[in-house]
Amino acid sequence: MTTLSPEAPASRVRPAERHRVLLAPITVTPSKPLTPSHLKGLLWTDVMYRATRPLAEVTYRYSHTTYHATEQTLGFWEFLDRTHGDVDYSGLTVEQIGELYVAFRAADRAPAEALRPYDDAAERGWVHPASARVLQLWSGQYAALGLHDPGLLRHQPPGLTLEAMLSRLTALGMCLDQRDVGGPVYLDLTRHGLPLRQLVTPDGRPNYLCCALRELLPLAPDFDEVVLLYDGELDPDYQQLARVLAAQGPRVRRVSLGRVPVDGQIRSARHGGWRDLHAGPLLENALAEHDAAAVCLGMRLYFIAVLGPGQQQSFRADLLRQTLRRAARLLEAAPQHEVSPLAEHLARHRKDQLYVDPYRLTSGLLGRRRAAPALDLLATVFL
Amino acid sequence: MTLTQQALREHAALRILAARPRLAARHDLTSHEGLLAAQRDITAEDPTEGTLAVVVLRSFDLARWTRDTCAFALGIDPRQAASWRAGFTRTVFLAGDPAHLCERFSFAHVAPDLSAAWTAPGSAARSAALRRLLKLFNAPAALPARPDVVVDVPGVPRLADRPRVRRALYIATAGCTIAEALVHLNHVLVEAVLDGLIAPGDQLSLRQVPRVIGTPARLAGVRVIADDHDPNRLRAAAGLTEEIPLA
Repeated sequence: MTTLSPEAPASRVRPAERHRVLLAPITVTPSKPLTPSHLKGLLWTDVMYRATRPLAEVTYRYSHTTYHATEQTLGFWEFLDRTHGDVDYSGLTVEQIGELYVAFRAADRAPAEALRPYDDAAERGWVHPASARVLQLWSGQYAALGLHDPGLLRHQPPGLTLEAMLSRLTALGMCLDQRDVGGPVYLDLTRHGLPLRQLVTPDGRPNYLCCALRELLPLAPDFDEVVLLYDGELDPDYQQLARVLAAQGPRVRRVSLGRVPVDGQIRSARHGGWRDLHAGPLLENALAEHDAAAVCLGMRLYFIAVLGPGQQQSFRADLLRQTLRRAARLLEAAPQHEVSPLAEHLARHRKDQLYVDPYRLTSGLLGRRRAAPALDLLATVFL
Repeated sequence: MTLTQQALREHAALRILAARPRLAARHDLTSHEGLLAAQRDITAEDPTEGTLAVVVLRSFDLARWTRDTCAFALGIDPRQAASWRAGFTRTVFLAGDPAHLCERFSFAHVAPDLSAAWTAPGSAARSAALRRLLKLFNAPAALPARPDVVVDVPGVPRLADRPRVRRALYIATAGCTIAEALVHLNHVLVEAVLDGLIAPGDQLSLRQVPRVIGTPARLAGVRVIADDHDPNRLRAAAGLTEEIPLA
């Protein structure tokens, strides 16, 4: 056993040689409870972030501000004010706000004009009290899960305005702007055989892909590698996004994660029906039986190693409980340090990319023939 | 000239007769009901069969597009023209940038400024890949107001066949989007070219009017549609006048 401290291996790589990696996961609309699918994405990204940090300069970009401009967020806020008026959201639970969101998704859409005041305010940093309340509750859950907080409550505006982003795309020959005939704006990668993708509707509303471009186009040139983590259903959009960002210089990696089915069914959180299968109750049950460290490790083992990147397995509470117990045993048995220096150990879980593969790393902890993982690895990445 | 309901019915009947004589023979096209019945038969036809052309539009300028539409139609070979005519010169307008498509797709005509491109009329299957890649041209804005403008029909005039002429081309702008105007004008223009009414060297005077009524000259080609305000009436969405000789 070596006596290296967890920080020592990282310091062996000289700063001048350290590559720059941008992790850019898709965000969750702050309007509902965090479901197993959301938790999987968050835990996956967190392990990737913390495992890659000893090897590279990693920026974890996760800005709710950027995506407030989408119709699903602004529309929700407008719907709440129009149908419920002045409500004290500070006393509501995330489930109660989630129920309001379900009602919004089932209701008729407001015209684009009605969303404009909300858009203007959000661009200046305003957040509707309902979403502010959700973000505050999520912050507590992030802390309980040991998740790095990428700035849930901070105003993190995208680097480009809509018009500046479209100008940048036009200069790249990737924009088809038909607003002069009352039409939409498209991302145009037809030169590469990819279909036209709408970015702005004829009535002027940007979609999430448009918001992602406002954020990531100006950031991309500063990085050697950009890692996009997203829901597998969005693969066609992310292929397009990757193509645009790659034109800015970095290598772009797409990490597509399957959702977590519940009782064999993949349901969107917008339909509700999350029962007790979301972050709050899952954490409460876990913490009733285990300490915080076992919960952090167990959740990561379950949502990463047990469920894997696909979406074949339904969520199983019994398997989660079993994995939490396994985590507690691993922690009890953990030696102080890994046999090899930590950076070397982490670097083994990469292929030709700069980021550490969370699945390879985490499932490696469960290998039967593997020695118990050491506290330096667990504390750096999993707790 | 006043376009009576009967005159509109005659224009509509002539178009069906020119395109599909056998279908025309099945209906009494002198009556409103007969025209509607013929229209129903046409609408019920399988859209995956028949000939269609695709127009890819990056941007739209009425005069420029009119000129290029004529250039495209003048280049269509007679066999393609006959089957396209039988399909009522069906045309699909798509949003797209010809500059990005010319390598992968073959176009019969491309606007010199690359603002638009036309595929040769052909089966739906032939343009399926292009249609999958692009989206329908979505242009809900009204035609921007503009003064009358004269468009020179491109190509070398065949003066031995017939002298150059000028015609006026009217488009009714009331309640009409750019997308709708494209459809109306396209039918009038390409059918006039296929019928020899428009030839290289001719001039077209484009006139935007709220309604095509009381035109100073008789109309040689009319785009007849149902009147939104009264389904029992027809109206002219666009019209091409008889010739006005040019010096």
